[in-house]
Amino acid sequence: METEQRRLAVTPRGLEAELVVGAAPLAKLLAPAPRRLVVVKRFLENRLAVAGLVTIVIFYVVAALAPLVSRYDYDALQSGMRNTPPSAEHWLGTDRAGRDVYARLVKGGQVSLAAGFAAVVIVMTIGTSLGAAAGFFGGWVDAIIMRLTDILLSIPLILLLITAASLFRPSLRTTIIVIGVSSWPGAARLVRGQFLALKGQEYVTAARAIGAGPVRLMSRHLFPNALAVIIVEATLWLSYAILLEASLSYLGLGVQIPTPSWGNMLQDGQRELLYGAWWLTLFPGLAIFLTVLAFNLMGDGLRDALDPRHRRR
Amino acid sequence: MLAYMARRVLFLIPLLLGLSAIMFALVRAAPGDPVVAMMGPQAASNPGYVEQARENLGLNEPLPVQYAIWIGNLVQGDFGIAYTFNNKPVLTLIGERFWGTIQLQSLALFIGLAIAVPVGIISATRQYSTLDNTITVSSFIGLAVPNFWLALLLQIWLSVELGWLPTLSGGQDNVGWSERWKFFVMPVLVLALPNIAYFARFMRSSMLEVIHQDYVTTARAKGLTSRTVLYRHALRNALIPMITVVGLQLPRILSGAVIIEQIFAWPGLGGLAYDAIGRRDYPVILGLTMLTGAAVMVVNIVVDFVYVLADPRVSVS
Repeated sequence: METEQRRLAVTPRGLEAELVVGAAPLAKLLAPAPRRLVVVKRFLENRLAVAGLVTIVIFYVVAALAPLVSRYDYDALQSGMRNTPPSAEHWLGTDRAGRDVYARLVKGGQVSLAAGFAAVVIVMTIGTSLGAAAGFFGGWVDAIIMRLTDILLSIPLILLLITAASLFRPSLRTTIIVIGVSSWPGAARLVRGQFLALKGQEYVTAARAIGAGPVRLMSRHLFPNALAVIIVEATLWLSYAILLEASLSYLGLGVQIPTPSWGNMLQDGQRELLYGAWWLTLFPGLAIFLTVLAFNLMGDGLRDALDPRHRRR
Repeated sequence: MLAYMARRVLFLIPLLLGLSAIMFALVRAAPGDPVVAMMGPQAASNPGYVEQARENLGLNEPLPVQYAIWIGNLVQGDFGIAYTFNNKPVLTLIGERFWGTIQLQSLALFIGLAIAVPVGIISATRQYSTLDNTITVSSFIGLAVPNFWLALLLQIWLSVELGWLPTLSGGQDNVGWSERWKFFVMPVLVLALPNIAYFARFMRSSMLEVIHQDYVTTARAKGLTSRTVLYRHALRNALIPMITVVGLQLPRILSGAVIIEQIFAWPGLGGLAYDAIGRRDYPVILGLTMLTGAAVMVVNIVVDFVYVLADPRVSVS
């Protein structure tokens, strides 16, 4: 049993194993106010996590204000400005069509951050629903859902993604759907583990004894208590989703030019590398790196804040 | 124990059937025509040729029949012939590329473990020290770097600017190892980095968990030196969860790093998969995913089995 729990909880690059093994972090978000404050306080004490949160907030604000923070239009072609290095006029230089890299980076951030967010919504919706059903109902429902996750997890995710992405006309929407629909098994297994652990607790038996039906049990008693784990998982998945979007777009199977995304900016700048235009590769990659790092730090801090047992180690 | 293992192995049959059905449906839902990709635009402009080729490849049969034929051949070890790649048998193609991927990935795995295990131990034994904090931050950074971006930066720096290393992998078969190792440096570095970061973090938390166990305190109370306690008592148990973590890397190892092999033009399975998908070469895509999937499922069983052997506290019930 223990081996299985450990195995199932480790998602592609995270360290989520500890979450499932052992006691579950409980209903922090529905807890009385002082309890909630403790969680907030613990989070704020973690400097790395706060740095992650601040970075993410800044990135989202800048992306939301995209037209206001750059002097140039992201799509404006300027003749005679091909591949100019960073300067006072063009902070991060221009690309091979003379477009301002900073303007494209900000616009691309809008696209990449939104794509990551939308994909994670799909991942967590499918993952939570199927995982909850599997954990709560058990039996053949559990068997079918878990075998499906076994099958999907046996194919390396990136292989599944490029196969699926190459089937449809590549676009922002296709990218989001492909990532969302292919990546849920990890989340499903995690939520299933939580529901299985919670289902056996006395307060659930008590609620059942006073006549709570499956819907009420799941929505009022199990889901709120699994929410902390789900939120941490979603935060970590935001970083994977942004990386996956970038990978697909870099391969030309994701977001298509002229719509900029960090991934397709990397693809577009790659051929200019030979002419020494390093700024076209450096900055979009740096943006992806910082975002992924920030989400990881924040997710890790959230987990520590929500689960004191984990923090002690 | 044996019965449990036998059940797990028997269970592979429905799992593999499920995998084959999903992959077949996915690949065949593709709108592009493999016949056109195979014949090239010139020959494909003649509808008679295209029709003949479709007939020869069995693509005119209804899908369920095609699926049944494919599965029937698969069971007999016949993975079919590639539509492109000079129509080589799929297994030959995979065999040609297999070693390239295994060499690259096992090197990255080995280097990852060789660095991460000691680093994780040091980090755990000096928890919250400056060294530990530096290692923790570094591993977060190592995990967040998009590896294809790192590959591009290394290419521009180490091979275009400095000229120390070859940019692409072509021609590595024609030189001896005194030259050949240069082809490995960048891809191995790029692939090992996330391994180091990931394994080190896992090793640290695994070690910390063990250090706080009662039996370690007992060993200390008996008066054993901290060195003995650490290496004889703690480390051996802390290494057990690493079996699972390393096992989990195997899908990636077996399928090859699709993007990294692509960037370095490495002659491996990842590059093969990418090319095959681009050319809509169904038999190659399906052959690769089926072999990888099967290998991953088998490895999962083996990992659980080894885990039970290594840790007597775990039972299979």
